[in-house]
Amino acid sequence: MKKGWSIFFGVVIAGITGLTAVSPWMGWWLPKNLCVFGKETDDLFYLILWIVTFFFLLTEGILVYALFRYAGEPGRRAAYFHGAFSLELIWTLVPAVILLFIAFTQVQAWNRIKVASRMPPPDQIMEVSARQFEWRVRYPTDPKFLGQDALKENASAVDSWGKEAQFDDLRVVNQIHIWEGSSVRVHLKTRDVIHSFFLPNMRIKQDALPGKTIPVWFAAEKGTANTKYNDETRKWDEPTVDCDLACAELCGWGHYKMRGKLYIHKDREDYEKWLKQAKEEQDRHAVDSAAGQP
Amino acid sequence: MSSGTPHAVHAHHPGFIGKYIFSTDHKVIGIQFLFSGLIFLFIGGALAMLVRIQLGWPGAQIPILSTLFPASWGQRMDPAFYNMLFSMHASVMIFFVIIPLLAGAFGNFLIPLMIGAKDMAFPKLNMCSYWFMWPAFIVILSSFFVEGGAGASGWTSYPTVASVTMPPYPGIDFATGAEENKSLPEKTKAALFKDSPAQPAGKGQILWLVSLIFVGVSSMMGSVNYITTIINMRAPGMTLFRMPLSIWAMFITAILQAMALPVLTVALFLQLLDKTFNTTFFLPPAGLDFGNQHTAVGGGQPLLWQHLFWFYSHPAVYIMILPAMGFVSDIIATFSRKPLFGYRPMVYSLAGIAGLGFIVWGHHMFQSGMDPRLGTGFMIATIMIALPSAVKVFNWLGTVWGANIQYTTPMLNALAFVSMFVIGGLSGIFMAATPVDIAIHDTYFIVAHLHYVLFMSSLFGIFGAIYFWYPKMFGKMMSEPWGKVHFALTFVFSNCTFYPMHIIGIGLQPRRYFDWSDFGFTRHLGPLNTFISISALLLGLTQLIFVANFLFSLVWGKKSGLNPWHSNSLEWSASSPAPHGNFPVVPIVDRGPYEYASPDVEEDYQPQARNAAALSGQPVPAAH
Repeated sequence: MKKGWSIFFGVVIAGITGLTAVSPWMGWWLPKNLCVFGKETDDLFYLILWIVTFFFLLTEGILVYALFRYAGEPGRRAAYFHGAFSLELIWTLVPAVILLFIAFTQVQAWNRIKVASRMPPPDQIMEVSARQFEWRVRYPTDPKFLGQDALKENASAVDSWGKEAQFDDLRVVNQIHIWEGSSVRVHLKTRDVIHSFFLPNMRIKQDALPGKTIPVWFAAEKGTANTKYNDETRKWDEPTVDCDLACAELCGWGHYKMRGKLYIHKDREDYEKWLKQAKEEQDRHAVDSAAGQP
Repeated sequence: MSSGTPHAVHAHHPGFIGKYIFSTDHKVIGIQFLFSGLIFLFIGGALAMLVRIQLGWPGAQIPILSTLFPASWGQRMDPAFYNMLFSMHASVMIFFVIIPLLAGAFGNFLIPLMIGAKDMAFPKLNMCSYWFMWPAFIVILSSFFVEGGAGASGWTSYPTVASVTMPPYPGIDFATGAEENKSLPEKTKAALFKDSPAQPAGKGQILWLVSLIFVGVSSMMGSVNYITTIINMRAPGMTLFRMPLSIWAMFITAILQAMALPVLTVALFLQLLDKTFNTTFFLPPAGLDFGNQHTAVGGGQPLLWQHLFWFYSHPAVYIMILPAMGFVSDIIATFSRKPLFGYRPMVYSLAGIAGLGFIVWGHHMFQSGMDPRLGTGFMIATIMIALPSAVKVFNWLGTVWGANIQYTTPMLNALAFVSMFVIGGLSGIFMAATPVDIAIHDTYFIVAHLHYVLFMSSLFGIFGAIYFWYPKMFGKMMSEPWGKVHFALTFVFSNCTFYPMHIIGIGLQPRRYFDWSDFGFTRHLGPLNTFISISALLLGLTQLIFVANFLFSLVWGKKSGLNPWHSNSLEWSASSPAPHGNFPVVPIVDRGPYEYASPDVEEDYQPQARNAAALSGQPVPAAH
């Protein structure tokens, strides 16, 4: 059974390597990426994956081989050496260089995604208030808050919009509406506990902190529209490609059920059409309930 | 160095209580930590089994278990209960199992024996450090039975979900059970409590905080003792660079504990004050809203907790692995019958991991709302920790290269540590990379990584250490065949449990979710989740083999003799079990601990002490 132990280790290592190799084919892999910076972050993931796979196979391979070759025999004596400085130097410097290389490839992507001053000028803004246990989204309907030019021109109005709700805002729960190619700027807030705004298909995640408004940006690539107006139901269809919004920070018993959906319209016009219809529906319900209608 | 202050001839003959219960003997204290740690291992494991039952079969009615759940829950698990399960699983495993076993049990047992001392520098403080755990045990166990159940805000207990006390409905005060509440019928209370949008973390959370304060004090006492003993009480000839790696690891770990724990203890007190005296350390200036209830205004910052908590909890993960690394070095050298490769680099890498460990806490907070510009600095420091870790792995490979390997149970567990730590360490690189972390933070990829370093590494290290030092503790051998069965099954089932978590993590399945099956991006991961759960249940059952082996061997195990493994360090020259006072004469150390296969002697091992032969037998009280 002595050499058998090295085979035992080898089989288990091979098994987990095999599982990793087949997983993409089984559909157990990264969700579909629809975001303009998603490819960059996915590429960084793959860079690390290949480097890590190489060192994994190398070290486990050497281990399994050594366990086989040097399985003990009575009467035999091990080699008597305490170390080798040259080896120590090599296996310190080479990993150090590789690790620093990995670190430095990551810096630009991180800054471009997360640092507020590096975010691209937005085409649309929305406020997302993460709550127990739903996403309350506030969309401006005033045209001065829509489109890159208008938003740039009215920068200080945007600031006050961010701080205080306007009477003509649209409020929707658990739905994020954007259009293909639009650079979205979310003002992320919460009023109760820490939540986390997570769009897997946009490769974006940001914790919401009580007491802070945190800017988040993402943009859907062209060709990723997942909703269109349905003339029969006179509504927009449910997204064809599931684009979930999930909470990614434990926020209480309902943490698992904060499911939102991301609707990607095909263009700005379609988005504005939705915005108008949703606003009318919101206003109509208000009127109906005031009149005592259900 | 002197072997410690001379003490009066042992005229005291402690009764049963003084010998086995309130003992100041480091070996007894170490064994006490071992027993309590193993009991909590089973409690923490049982909690994990319940977690996996829910995740493997979400919302199902489980046979037998369903009869234990209330009818009002539909005889199923409840989401708030589920949150408590994983929160307490982690809390128990970290604070009541891994740290007490590594630092409390083996630190205590091994340090004086391996350095040639009679006992610790402060034996009474040592006894105190164990008994301080008992209030912690009682408080944490009672937290399961209070109103609202045990802490359910994660082992991380982030404000404000953990720290708020205000009631969700007027007139109902869950923290103190106000008068107006008492007149309501039980059913109404239960219904209101359950349906409230914000179940405030109540009594269970308060008890969690108190319990961990006791654990922290216990550990701080222990670390003071370990540092002092290692510096001051080494036998003549036992220079620092002749100490076994186990001792270097315990030494560096004790420094980590001494420096990091005070910060956690302070944080725990601050949250306790927020919950009981309505202070506002973690309450933001504008206050909070729950439903239509509003808290008082604050003046604090939820993020402050995270900084304080992770400033301790990141070094804590090194506290939970460094000792195991030390044990693995000693076990691998012993059963390779070959010197440890790269003694000094191994010491420096322990120090490097510990030192870097203090400046990386922000990597738990990349997505937290902390200024993202801090992310880059934390990322670079974090990625660099892979370097000393890699150096250690290469040196272990160098140790088995050219060896004459004996596949004993301790050796198999130590080899498992090495091969599994490679995976745990490499997976850490993904989350250290800030852009990649955006996607994988708070997913199962993190859960996979942490279980590979804590279960697949630390726990295999602990199993190896138990099988290895059991003869020295109890004078008996554990069964080798059953040890191997336990090892093989544990290795297979644990890989089947934790490896697929990397895959569902790449699928971005979030952690801490009661039910993943409703979301579009995780719905299809069912087969893997079920496979993990089945493997976990089999893994749990396998541990019964270990319990049986451990307990039966205490009574029926083969007598071990002094040095069944032919190992070099000083403890193997003492009797098995070692007597009070450890050594009848002061050991004189001539060499390092890894002189195996030396051409100078016929045997393939060479004990460290010149007077090794005189170190066992009945102790004679000697003035020295």
